[in-house]
Amino acid sequence: MPASRPRWTRLHWMRGRVEETENGGRTLEWIGCDDAGAPIARVVRVQGPLFSGWRCYRAVALDSDARIVELRPPPPEGAGWLACVGGQVVGRAAQPLAAVRTAEAALTQG
Amino acid sequence: MTEYSLDKIRNIGITAHIDAGKTTTTERILFYTGMSHRIGEVHDGNTTTDYMDQERERGITITSAAVTCEWKDTRINIIDTPGHIDFNIEVNRSLRVLDGAVFIIEGVAGVQPQSETNWRLADRYNVPRIIFINKLDRTGADFYRAFATLKEKLDIVALPLQLPIGIEDQFVGVIDLVEMKAIVWEGGELGAKFHDEPIPEAMLEQAKEYRQTLLDTALSVDDAAMEEYFDKGDVAVETLKRCIKAGAISGAFRPVLCGTAFKNKGVQPLLDAVIDYLPSPVDVPGISVAAEEGEDETLDRRRIKADVKAPFAGLAFKIINDKYGTLTFVRVYAGTLKSSETVMNTTKGHRERIGRMFQMHADKRVEIKEVHAGDIAAFVGLKDTGTGDTLADASDPVVLERMAFPVPVIDISVEPKTKESVEKMTLGLQKLAGEDPSLRLRTDQETGQTILSGMGELHLEIIIDRLKREYGVEANIGAPQVAYRETISRPHTEIYTHKKQTGGSGQFAEVKIVFEPLERNAGIVFENKVVGGSVPREYIPAVEKGIRVQAETGVLAGFPTVDFKYTLVDGKYHDVDSSALAFEIAAKACFRDGMKKASPIILEPIMDVEVTTPQDHVGDVVGDLNRRRGMIQNQDSSGSTIIVRAHIPLKEMFGYISDLRSMTKGRASFTMQFHHYDPVPRNIADEIMSKSA
Repeated sequence: MPASRPRWTRLHWMRGRVEETENGGRTLEWIGCDDAGAPIARVVRVQGPLFSGWRCYRAVALDSDARIVELRPPPPEGAGWLACVGGQVVGRAAQPLAAVRTAEAALTQG
Repeated sequence: MTEYSLDKIRNIGITAHIDAGKTTTTERILFYTGMSHRIGEVHDGNTTTDYMDQERERGITITSAAVTCEWKDTRINIIDTPGHIDFNIEVNRSLRVLDGAVFIIEGVAGVQPQSETNWRLADRYNVPRIIFINKLDRTGADFYRAFATLKEKLDIVALPLQLPIGIEDQFVGVIDLVEMKAIVWEGGELGAKFHDEPIPEAMLEQAKEYRQTLLDTALSVDDAAMEEYFDKGDVAVETLKRCIKAGAISGAFRPVLCGTAFKNKGVQPLLDAVIDYLPSPVDVPGISVAAEEGEDETLDRRRIKADVKAPFAGLAFKIINDKYGTLTFVRVYAGTLKSSETVMNTTKGHRERIGRMFQMHADKRVEIKEVHAGDIAAFVGLKDTGTGDTLADASDPVVLERMAFPVPVIDISVEPKTKESVEKMTLGLQKLAGEDPSLRLRTDQETGQTILSGMGELHLEIIIDRLKREYGVEANIGAPQVAYRETISRPHTEIYTHKKQTGGSGQFAEVKIVFEPLERNAGIVFENKVVGGSVPREYIPAVEKGIRVQAETGVLAGFPTVDFKYTLVDGKYHDVDSSALAFEIAAKACFRDGMKKASPIILEPIMDVEVTTPQDHVGDVVGDLNRRRGMIQNQDSSGSTIIVRAHIPLKEMFGYISDLRSMTKGRASFTMQFHHYDPVPRNIADEIMSKSA
């Protein structure tokens, strides 16, 4: 499989915040740096209330111990990760890799 | 039995809707792994796993069959399960003891009702699974449409690992998105010959797009793999496989493969996927021990992990009686056990000595001397071990999580044709009920008839046929009856005094019992709140028993009473005249009087019915469903056919198939399965009560 490198050489991605879980850490944030190592983009897992345009989705506990939590109303399909460039949200994606591409595409377009 | 290290064992089930190709696929697996030297066909009645006479005659799987094969130095224990809803217990108990499953989806119809039901069962037991979209050679097959139904009906993240090359009679092979190559079957040697070649030019762009989706989804479960991707712009095949396996085990996504088992294409890559992506016994977290009485069932409990050196622990999941005796199928979770050793049945609290042990290959058996963690084997010689019982070493007498069994919805009365056969029939039915937990046997207290309750007309028909063939009993059977239930709709407290003095020692007992309704499927719950010894402790079990026995015959129409709680709050006794019998009689009478005042109601089984009909008949079908007291749930179209889903009382569904056929000139079909119990309308309740009177 030929590697599609040119699309991925713009930024150097590294792990940002990590959530500790039973099975080790889970990355909640990927930071995209330029060749000089300066962070210019981020890809962030959506955790709390999610703002999508004029709608706000809130996490609602369905039981008293908050073991079951649901986002109400349900967030739009594929909104698990936010792609941010310079502090601005430039897109959403279901998976981190797709969000990385979204961020890089936004940078390419200027 | 050759010994395999635990990571070289896969215990998998093959499950799907009826006629999706489970047995056909299993047959190819056995052929390609060298376990059989010919391919049996369902329509010829000569497959390995459908070995019962009834299975071969009817061309359906009735009982799950275990077979073992080897592929690439890994032992695969396979359980082929039935697709018909009436035999769902077989899927239930198989999924309970398996580490992984292959779900076969039909390439024409996509996800069908029984696939959905089995999928939910697999969810309940957290079984990792891969999906095989089968029958891509059939007219009307569409991989992408069938794939779309995975998301629509199962609400999952389905991840294609393959794409079909061609479709229907042009289907020749698959594109492997993991290694980015085409696999093409050459047509000869029953599908054993195939070769790799470059992806066809016309499909290259599409394959690249799907591979990107595969990478996006699969790598998201492994941060190290993401970093490898950022560094190199791609990942090694081993890395990708590791991620797919991790995602399949955690359930983050479900890998999807495709092919046509009947035309011998796609089965070998499916076997590779079983080894690459489904877990070995050490890859899964282990089985939980059962919650103690009163313990919160949602809490995390101790898990028994696969370890050959740990104390023995296994779960009996299936019983078969044949001419050689009783075979108990056991999934071994931990430890090692040799034949003639003794273990504890920790569910029932007694010891069991293992006679002989066998590795089963459908109806054939190979004697083995010991079993290890991860194995599935059959034991002979167990005296009192039933489905769902735990067998464990006395040094660590754990009780494993119990199994849940479905509720029977259809009753028939059975009586032997000759008086001499009474004993034989009772023995035969008891043995059959011992094998099949979804079959219940009881005696109607008023008529004295033997009542057999099962999951459907076909289920009971097979049981009666087995009674005749295996136990030589010809029986008269009554028309199938709906298995109504009774319950109460408001609380009531009843006091009953049982007093009898007819010379000699008398009888005296008084009980005060609170009856309360419970939610559906809660069963019957007893609580003792007696304080100060107003009912002596030794008589409490008699009160509990009296109510449970009497609950078999409800107060409205004699149907079993369910979903209520009874609390013994007070009572009186006499030093001389009170006895366990007196308290049992008092409890029974208290039930009869109390239930009448607790607003009793009759419940009927409501079925989830799915009718597939051509568009031109949809009006007739929907009208007819409404006449049958149906509540239409939804209506979907799939090409030129319409799928109507409705909830309908079982009572209205007897004989539906012939009505549907005449209404649609034989072009429509339907499936149904039990959904829930609901109160019957007043007019129907009156009708039922007048009949029982």
